[in-house]
Amino acid sequence: MKASLAADAVTKRFGGLTALDDVSLELRPGEVHGLIGPNGSGKTTLLNMLCGYYPVDGGAVKFGDEDLSRESVQRRADAGIARTFQKPRLLPTQTVLENAMLGGWRDGRAGFFASAFALPSARAEQRALRERARELLDGLGLGYALERRANLLDHAESRFLEIGRALVLRPRFILLDEPAGGLTGAEIERLGIVISTLRDAGIGVLLVEHHTEFVFGISDRVTTLNLGKMICHGAPAEVRHDPEVIRVYLGA
Amino acid sequence: MSGMRRVRFHTGWAVPLALLASLPWWAGDQYQLHLAALIAAYWILVAGLNLVVGFTGQLSIGHVGLLAIGAYAFAIIAGRHELSPWIALASAGGIGGVCGLLLGLPSLRLPGFYFAMATMAFALIVSELILALGDLTGGGVGLSVPGFPEPFDTPQGYYLLLLGIAVVITWCAWNIARHPWGRALVAIRDNPVAAESVGVPVFRMKLVVFVASGVTAGVAGALFASLQSYITPDTFVFELGLFFFVCIIIGGRGSIAGPLVGTAILTALPELVAPLAKLGTLFYGLLLLAVVLLVPEGIGRLFEIVLERLRPRREASPVLEPHAGRLASAIRRQRDEA
Repeated sequence: MKASLAADAVTKRFGGLTALDDVSLELRPGEVHGLIGPNGSGKTTLLNMLCGYYPVDGGAVKFGDEDLSRESVQRRADAGIARTFQKPRLLPTQTVLENAMLGGWRDGRAGFFASAFALPSARAEQRALRERARELLDGLGLGYALERRANLLDHAESRFLEIGRALVLRPRFILLDEPAGGLTGAEIERLGIVISTLRDAGIGVLLVEHHTEFVFGISDRVTTLNLGKMICHGAPAEVRHDPEVIRVYLGA
Repeated sequence: MSGMRRVRFHTGWAVPLALLASLPWWAGDQYQLHLAALIAAYWILVAGLNLVVGFTGQLSIGHVGLLAIGAYAFAIIAGRHELSPWIALASAGGIGGVCGLLLGLPSLRLPGFYFAMATMAFALIVSELILALGDLTGGGVGLSVPGFPEPFDTPQGYYLLLLGIAVVITWCAWNIARHPWGRALVAIRDNPVAAESVGVPVFRMKLVVFVASGVTAGVAGALFASLQSYITPDTFVFELGLFFFVCIIIGGRGSIAGPLVGTAILTALPELVAPLAKLGTLFYGLLLLAVVLLVPEGIGRLFEIVLERLRPRREASPVLEPHAGRLASAIRRQRDEA
């Protein structure tokens, strides 16, 4: 039984506003978990709590039996939790390959001195990382753009590069914040290929997304939030026909 | 930086290095040699500061304070206490590093503008302390600074010592810049949230690189003091701290060659071209204005653009087409490695 990543009755308040109220969600390895809901329903807040950007005001974030609630963002990355951002956060002055290589930080043993004097260990580490990042980018279809500066990428390339950077982290879970945002139909189809491949490789995927057809088509389970509360969760077919979900989000 | 810069460094370093090493034999006069030694001393500081400002994006304008601390540490240890200049040089570096730690610990968490103000305050405090601690520092009268033993006791020998240290420090900075540890510094500059998300300990890395810049500033201070042979508080005016900062901005962020050229030009030009010397600070101001308006990414980026133009054009970009099989096997392979 592999460990899952779970939000356990999590509550989050910003001043007087309760952004998340007693929300639970379990992300399992090798599963795509869709998270949908209207704007402001708390989807991104929940994602941010899972990877440590906000402390919990109630409940806990757990990785297997381990309580991560008080751990830093960096510590959670070390545990194998990777993410992408709603608006891609790349390093504009760096190449595609260098951007992806940043994801390998947690494997790095070479610190300031080993790097400054280019010790053989540091050089070998860098070579291995470059090779690994190159293979992943090639699989994502970005092999033709490795030496391009990231500010010259188009929107879909930026989104895929963010996934690449997250994959170089060797994630056990990957949290995607609206990965289909701004993509064309054909590009969303390719994104679907990528996400299924991640799932089949045993990675747990959280898919925060507005594109409901895409979510229902690819997810194993779906959770729906409204105004910070969980209103429904289950298999895509159940959620799609839930009267409450239709009323607040999907429309008739 | 792309492969281009790496290649340029590999093929481009041998000739300039040979020219620089043979400078004592072809320099026009002693003054030019002195100027070259001064550039080397400044560069030792700027090379370290460049990692802080150009790579990590922390805008320190107060490194002149660390330079002064290194200079006075050297003058007091080697001059007053008559210890070996080598011990004094190492101590100056160590003291510079400790002062960097003391300054960095409280200030590196501040957002950019406030951090710059903290470093400025530090430089002003140091210069006041030098005046106030007259028993130790000679106050406004200053201190005479001893030189180094044979074979570094001639202008030629001393220049070669400075050049040697500058080359080693440049090599270290270049190594850091191209290894993943140093690439993470650029991530902290360009997008700290993304850096955190992959596990980069942002504050700790800022601190390590700031302490390192304190060490190079301390070493540079010692070498600079010995080159001047006499130091007073007026040797370390606040404008000198701005000067170092401007060398990096003009040279270009995230480049090593750029700030090196910037330091050399800004140090040498006003001295070699008499009309420019009359303009004094105005010259720096105009040059800074020109760079910020015309090439905001600095001289370093200008090199890159020229090289990009010289390269053959790429064909139109292919479609983004993921390959499930290759992606799956890449993921599997990296999991097996771990």
